Amino acid sequence: MSLGQLLGLSFVQHAFYAVTAVALAAGAVGYFVVLRRQAFAAHAIGHVGFAGAAGAVLLGLSPIVGLLVFCLGAGLLIGFGGATLDDRDAVVGVTLTAALGLGVLFISLYSGYADATYSILFGQILGVTWVDVGLVTSLSMAVLLAVSLAYRPLMFVSVDAQSASARGVSTRAMSLLFMSLLAVTTVVAIQVVGVLLVFSLLVAPAAAAEALTNRPLRAMGLATVLALFSAWFGLFLGVWLGGPVSFWITALASLAYLLARLSSVQAARRSQRAVA
Amino acid sequence: MNILTMTNGAVALGGRTVWRDATFELEARTITAVLGPNGAGKSTLLNAALGLVPLSEGSIEVLGAPPRRGNRRVGFMAQSRQADAMSAITGRDYVNLGFDGPRFGWGRDRSKREVVERALSLSGTTAFAAQPLKSLSGGQRQRIALAHATVFEPELLLLDEPLAGLDLAAQAEIVDLINLIRDTTGAAVIVVAHDLNPLAPIVDKVLWIARRQVRSGSVDDVVNEEVLSELYGHPIEIVVTPRGRRVIVGLEEEFAHPHPHGHDHSHEAGHEHFAEIYEEETK
Repeated sequence: MSLGQLLGLSFVQHAFYAVTAVALAAGAVGYFVVLRRQAFAAHAIGHVGFAGAAGAVLLGLSPIVGLLVFCLGAGLLIGFGGATLDDRDAVVGVTLTAALGLGVLFISLYSGYADATYSILFGQILGVTWVDVGLVTSLSMAVLLAVSLAYRPLMFVSVDAQSASARGVSTRAMSLLFMSLLAVTTVVAIQVVGVLLVFSLLVAPAAAAEALTNRPLRAMGLATVLALFSAWFGLFLGVWLGGPVSFWITALASLAYLLARLSSVQAARRSQRAVA
Repeated sequence: MNILTMTNGAVALGGRTVWRDATFELEARTITAVLGPNGAGKSTLLNAALGLVPLSEGSIEVLGAPPRRGNRRVGFMAQSRQADAMSAITGRDYVNLGFDGPRFGWGRDRSKREVVERALSLSGTTAFAAQPLKSLSGGQRQRIALAHATVFEPELLLLDEPLAGLDLAAQAEIVDLINLIRDTTGAAVIVVAHDLNPLAPIVDKVLWIARRQVRSGSVDDVVNEEVLSELYGHPIEIVVTPRGRRVIVGLEEEFAHPHPHGHDHSHEAGHEHFAEIYEEETK
């Protein structure tokens, strides 16, 4: 089959729309994950999602239902218990372990677990249906809308919680809002790259963008572009050369991060030389 | 009209009285220093004025009404901002957040640019406002933070330890800037401080918290070896420099012990001694 024919296949097109929607939400939310130093929470929510998906499969439901319930629940728990930086790590860690324990239990109870587990852990982008695409797209758009409306207060509490609180912004409410957005974005990203590789879309592009610019909107735009680039080319390479799509996406996103770090180190050296 | 009036105020947190018997008034165009050992409740006093902490007894009025969160006429500069996250953005973006950070939605205010630029210019930060905060010195960062807190030219300005962690020169710059802000905007300014020395030249009134009581008086009332020793629960000495400046000594252990050879009254040695105190302070 030629490349043109491959790209014309309906399951490839479904995948294309899905990765696009995911990359859009992941760029914006990822910026705040990096700014708020909440990569650990993003990681934990992904793994909690694993328990949710396993539970849903056990009950004969669609994995995405379990993902949404567990991820949102974990997000709210972390957002509520870890509104301040001080106790955040402990809350995230305990939530993560408790959920993984449940996941192990659910899997042990489910007999035909291998396939389902594999696709939850590593993504199943070439298996998404039109229904999945619709769901992923509407969730992503809802996240983008919420981020754009809450952009300023979210920035304010992320940068300077004490001053924001003095100015009447509720740190806890913003923490809950952000964790819910992160949870929904994680669920959506899991559809593409799976639980274990959620970082590749949610954290790597945003971290790369943050290394390249200090302006928040520019960083968010750049994170989105990098996420789109990794997602599209990852899908293309997976279809063309073979190999799991999630591997290609992860490799490209990590490469983008590596290059961004190298170039920001170079830029810092240059400006140091200019000063000296 | 008083900017802030506290009458027999007390605050209890978790059933424990932080301080009580707080009765004082602050007028416009005055600078008040709040002194006290760590944990005495200095920041709590600011939180009470911000409406973040309710009084357990007594009453407080800010600008003629009970304090309420998010009042634009009250400016606040927090003590320890989350340095990591802050460093990711530019000074101007941080001051922008002072303008419309609390607001949801897509709307933009036309006056934003003008108001923010005015605050930057008053604080003398225009030249480096486009740089990321992480590339600025401690003093420059505090100037930006002051621009953030004064963006609406508040009538009451609350500053929590604005001199903490700064070297002598930067402390003097920030003290001058606080004085300039008071003169230009006519605000009543409250400065929480660990040490009165650098602030003494501009302070009109001192509030000090000792043994869970808030007392108020003039700089002369508090710069008194007995009052200060009681305040810090630790022997304090007041040294008069050859130029007539009074220096409070003894906040660090090293200086609580008498120096056998330390009282050389030449200008050079006095200056060195002074600097040493501050170096100790900033650790």
